[in-house]
Amino acid sequence: MNSLLRIRTLAANTFREAIRNKLLYTLLGFGIVMIAAGVLLASLSYVEVDEILQDMGMAAIRFFSAGIAIFVGIGLIHNEVDRRTIFTILSKPVSRTEFLIGKWAGLTFTVWLQLVLMALAFAAVSGLAGAPLGAGHAVAIALIGFELMLLVAIATFFSAFTTPMLAALFSVGIWMIGHLSRDLRALGEQSELESVSRATNLVFQWMPDFEVFNKTLEAVHGLAIPSSEVWMAIVYAVGYTVCTLLIGSMIFGRRDFK
Amino acid sequence: MAERREVVRVRNIVKDFRPGFGLRRKRVLHGVTFDVHEGEIFGFVGPNGAGKTTTLKILMGLIRPTEGKASILDRDVGESEFRNQIGFLPENPYFYPFLTAREILDFYARLSGVASQRRASRVDELLGIVNLSHAADARLRTFSKGMLQRVGVAQALVNDPQIVFLDEPMSGLDPIGRKEIRDVILSLRGEGKTVFMNTHILSDVEMICDRVAIIVKGRIRQQGSIDEILPDSTHSTDVVVAQLPVDVATRLESDPGIEMRGLGERVEMRVSAKRVGEVLQAAIEAGAQVISVTPHRHSLEEVFLSAVREEEGAR
Repeated sequence: MNSLLRIRTLAANTFREAIRNKLLYTLLGFGIVMIAAGVLLASLSYVEVDEILQDMGMAAIRFFSAGIAIFVGIGLIHNEVDRRTIFTILSKPVSRTEFLIGKWAGLTFTVWLQLVLMALAFAAVSGLAGAPLGAGHAVAIALIGFELMLLVAIATFFSAFTTPMLAALFSVGIWMIGHLSRDLRALGEQSELESVSRATNLVFQWMPDFEVFNKTLEAVHGLAIPSSEVWMAIVYAVGYTVCTLLIGSMIFGRRDFK
Repeated sequence: MAERREVVRVRNIVKDFRPGFGLRRKRVLHGVTFDVHEGEIFGFVGPNGAGKTTTLKILMGLIRPTEGKASILDRDVGESEFRNQIGFLPENPYFYPFLTAREILDFYARLSGVASQRRASRVDELLGIVNLSHAADARLRTFSKGMLQRVGVAQALVNDPQIVFLDEPMSGLDPIGRKEIRDVILSLRGEGKTVFMNTHILSDVEMICDRVAIIVKGRIRQQGSIDEILPDSTHSTDVVVAQLPVDVATRLESDPGIEMRGLGERVEMRVSAKRVGEVLQAAIEAGAQVISVTPHRHSLEEVFLSAVREEEGAR
């Protein structure tokens, strides 16, 4: 119980710190501008105007939210160590695991909040343009929320033991590979070289598959999203997040703060 | 007197650091061993780079020792649960600049598990103790170094700890601030709490510490009570008298064991500790008036410098 209270206190403080980060507002602003810019792009087409508008809006939500999750997340632990605020926190009855989870929870809440703001902008732009909105859109955006939860865990993981520059590089790399790993595997399977096929298969197996959270196509075209796929994506996100934070806390627990 | 409980126990702590990737390890602590007793003010003294802060960080669980064991209140320093019984002020503390003094103390109180109904009153009480009540609702980004140091002291006390660890607590404080913090430390001892203090300021150590350990280049050179470290060390005494007859003054002045200096109507004599009685008797019998008798002890600074020189000589 005390552990939960400490994590909540750390998360609330991380949230207060994150909402003062100018980068968050810059990316949020760009995201909303890009969602609105979908109207311009869609106006260039005579067919599937609503689909283009919403496709672009969803892509903007995913891209800029991921940017916030990564670029605010990478400094999460590093800043605490660099500014030595961690010294006084860990001298209290706070374990390093609680600290890591508190930081992750605070930033996850922050990116979820900005996701809600982007989703409202998306709904407003769709509404004004007369594009249809349904439950599929809500499900697709909720799954982006789970993707962000995992992405924050990955950024927090790297932030726990490396520099912000390397953490950014690794986090962006994993996110991009995670979205491309299915295509890479398909490409590898068509290759005549067995080593290529094995390598792409290995990447698919070991890297998180971020495409499980991508239901944009179904939402935009009004197709049904099977509930089994939604639940699978949620379990996948939770499981991967728990494992990432667990390994992160093991590494963080062995770290010296000079 | 009964032996007091050891609340901090450090045994043969060794710490190696790797200065950079692929570089050879550098040993910064070489088998450090000492104890801190319940209810005392313990001074941990050493020059820059001696290993004071590293030792303190090991006690706070921020650094893991390469070898050896350290415990606080019979709990291994690697654990975190017992930390609601200790407080820690790091050197040059830094706090979230966007919070106010009241908010940061409330944050630490929550982390320390201070009961919600006590939190607000405890925060107000601490702001009063460190003389920051007037700035309770100002953002920390507007605070001076001295004010941040006071916030640091307040957060270390937020959970009413049994043991307080202070790393250079007087750093950045003006003479009034130093006196206030000294008074806080003395009042903690008055309440039966234990204080562990890392410091450079030897006059403060001599003034308030019960026991001291001197660390030089990662090795404990001396430890014990101030009286043990400065044993029977009165090496000379200044005797100031008035109305000393000229013949007696001339006789005493010709004595090679007495340094004499005229101070207007008064005469100051520096004599060895063994001869104080003799000089006083001569002055009194001659009808002089004794103004003051001031014994001079070896200062902690002298002991400290000699420990540093010994260690440098041994290298």
